[in-house]
Amino acid sequence: MTVLHEDIEAMDPTRSGSPMPTGKSASLSLNEIEQLCLKAARGAGMSWGQAEEAGFAAAWLARQGLDGPGALLAQLQAAQDRAWRDICPVVDAGAFRAPEGGLLCPIALGSALCDYVALPVMQCDSLRIGPVTQPILLLPFLSDMARARQQPVRIEWPGGAVVASPDGRVAGDIGALATALPVEAELLIGSEFATRQPDSDPMAPMVVAAETIGALNTLAMRITVPASDVSRAGAGAAGDND
Amino acid sequence: MDRAHTCLPPETAPFRRAPSQVMRLDRMGCAHPTRLSFLRTLLRRIEREGWVFDRPVWEIDALGVGRAVYRAKGPERTYCLVAFAHDLPDEMRSDRVIATAWDATFALFDGEPTKADLDRLQANVPLQEAGRISPRELSLSRANRSVRLFAHVIDHLAQGQQPDIAEVESVGYLMRTTAVYGSGKFGAADRAAIADRPELNAPFQIEMLSVWLTRQFTVDIAEHLAAVQGGAKAVRLDPAIRRMLGVGNSTGLGMAPFLVRHPVLLNNWMMAREEALARVRAQESVTPQVADELRTALSAAQVNAAKWTSTHPLQVAKLEALRKDLDLLANWLGDWPAPDALYPWDALWRWAEAELSLEGQEALVALMLEPHGALIDDLAEQMTADESATFRLDGAMTTGALTCILADHYDWALDIDFDAPENIARFWYVSEEKLEPRLGNRFAEDGAALEQPLCIARLANELHAALADRPYDEPLAAFLLAHPDHRFMARRAQIAANHPFGEVRDNLIAEDMLPIDLMRCKLACFGASRFDPRSDKWVRISLFQDMPYPSDICPGGWT
Repeated sequence: MTVLHEDIEAMDPTRSGSPMPTGKSASLSLNEIEQLCLKAARGAGMSWGQAEEAGFAAAWLARQGLDGPGALLAQLQAAQDRAWRDICPVVDAGAFRAPEGGLLCPIALGSALCDYVALPVMQCDSLRIGPVTQPILLLPFLSDMARARQQPVRIEWPGGAVVASPDGRVAGDIGALATALPVEAELLIGSEFATRQPDSDPMAPMVVAAETIGALNTLAMRITVPASDVSRAGAGAAGDND
Repeated sequence: MDRAHTCLPPETAPFRRAPSQVMRLDRMGCAHPTRLSFLRTLLRRIEREGWVFDRPVWEIDALGVGRAVYRAKGPERTYCLVAFAHDLPDEMRSDRVIATAWDATFALFDGEPTKADLDRLQANVPLQEAGRISPRELSLSRANRSVRLFAHVIDHLAQGQQPDIAEVESVGYLMRTTAVYGSGKFGAADRAAIADRPELNAPFQIEMLSVWLTRQFTVDIAEHLAAVQGGAKAVRLDPAIRRMLGVGNSTGLGMAPFLVRHPVLLNNWMMAREEALARVRAQESVTPQVADELRTALSAAQVNAAKWTSTHPLQVAKLEALRKDLDLLANWLGDWPAPDALYPWDALWRWAEAELSLEGQEALVALMLEPHGALIDDLAEQMTADESATFRLDGAMTTGALTCILADHYDWALDIDFDAPENIARFWYVSEEKLEPRLGNRFAEDGAALEQPLCIARLANELHAALADRPYDEPLAAFLLAHPDHRFMARRAQIAANHPFGEVRDNLIAEDMLPIDLMRCKLACFGASRFDPRSDKWVRISLFQDMPYPSDICPGGWT
């Protein structure tokens, strides 16, 4: 039996999150993935609202059987020391570009694309974006864009193309997008559905690698506060054994 | 926009209470369970649909160790509570979150488990947090005995006697759950995967079913051990005494933030209850039969209030007020309804608002709903929430429009002076060693830099101030690129615009804030009774007390 934490205080019988299994890969529920990734993103320095977007994106990908947690971890590790102004998009008509010499965070870019989806700057057929790291993390946002616009959204980059359709499906070179280096890409809104992806079990649990769980958990633990004698006092039901 | 918000008929509007009245912490901290509470919803469905219960597996030895399966067959699907009974030395019994052993551990299985499933669960469920379960499981939980009452009951039954009623009443349960985990925890099925099943669509139905079957197990194992101990002399529990037993539960700070983290859900819970109250108040008349049912419910509430004990000074005062209010109510109902008076329910309510304490008023909400099943029970279906539907921000909204939302829905927050130390005295954080929410003292403890975003009043205040510096017609999308720190609160404010009961309208980091008020509101929505605070941060409650057992519904399943 693994005892995950040394517990020396009064009990508190409920908690907000389950501890992550350590040292081995595990099937995580989408709820666990979303919560772990939200906390890890916050631990890596994202604002709470952006961290919510990160949790949403990782769980959305996992629901498609894609390694959202792994992609998010790679992003957080690469970007955690960079300032917001270096990773957030500069928005112009027809373009969401990185600041000079910078690389966009896909969570910042994706949430901005969704925020702007009904605004004039997006009322065009194509949009230049990038360069953006871990572009696979854009897919959940492109899917939300497609639903908002009720039109397919196609991302094209030198290594391939993927289409997100309004019904939530994605199709195309998804494997290539998952391994792509930072890319500059074009978003085409209203483009035709290219290929159809075979249906997968949308609720199959996602096996997340041990290293990914461990590293995300390390980031997530940064937002926790070490115990003190004061904090322990009265938190739970001491001597509750009648 | 969700269903709950769009379904409100205009004719009840004049009878609806405002969020500014309902969503105050002191009033939420007086909430009583109603017929819309989740365990009542579960029991109504079970009765309506004729669910069948039995206990196909009972492999418990003379020491009380082994496993059992409780089967619940609905019209379309079957669920099984898999129970593991352990022989726990007294010195190891602890309700601590990371205790490593319990008297009993449970999983609610989706379908009927095979022997292989039971073996897999036996290798994981007893470990609780240190084990893993699968999407075939819907919940994971454990329970510990009330040492005092469990031994008392077994000893008496073994000797052919019934337990002492005073002992039974003073504890109220044989076992208390120390955690019931659902919604994808530890690898269990995600809520999204099962939320479209009608029987699981209402909130917390899995958890309620699990606890209700657990209540049956607590009696079964006590009778089993009494039979082992007493042999032919042993008797079974008197059904009347049995019915007095619920399942105990201790709830700490960990549950308090739930209502804050799920504004759409909170809105739908409160709005359903408030619409139910408004429908009752909007009745033009009352039949003698319904008036009698109200008086019967009141008598039951008076009995319950008499048995409801607590030693916590706050609750002692509340209980005194409640008992006095219920007596006043009984007296006033002597002349109610006045002959030919229109809207007698509204007259009753208006009298109560003028004469009763918050405890009495909120108790009356439950009493007024009780005889009106046909009128209000459909509202239980509006208490669920698809939170993903409200996740995406409307970035085209102008900062001016968002400012108006804050002025309309967060006026209570904008008036708070967050420079005053008493208004920022606390901070919510997650403890490193237990991964659970805690409440710290900002001026005496470290860790405020890691504050959780539960201080909604202050976040709304800060967003309001930041918006004032921007052009009125700037799209929110542009504002959030410049101010990513306000994304969390901007999303929340947009939700609040369509979910007026989604925010607890009090400062949750104030010096005098009582976390138990949050818990009481949530636990009342579950259907918990006998709320008994043991401090301002944790409470004891009872679930299913005075309600039927599965074996009452299907006596043949327990032979």
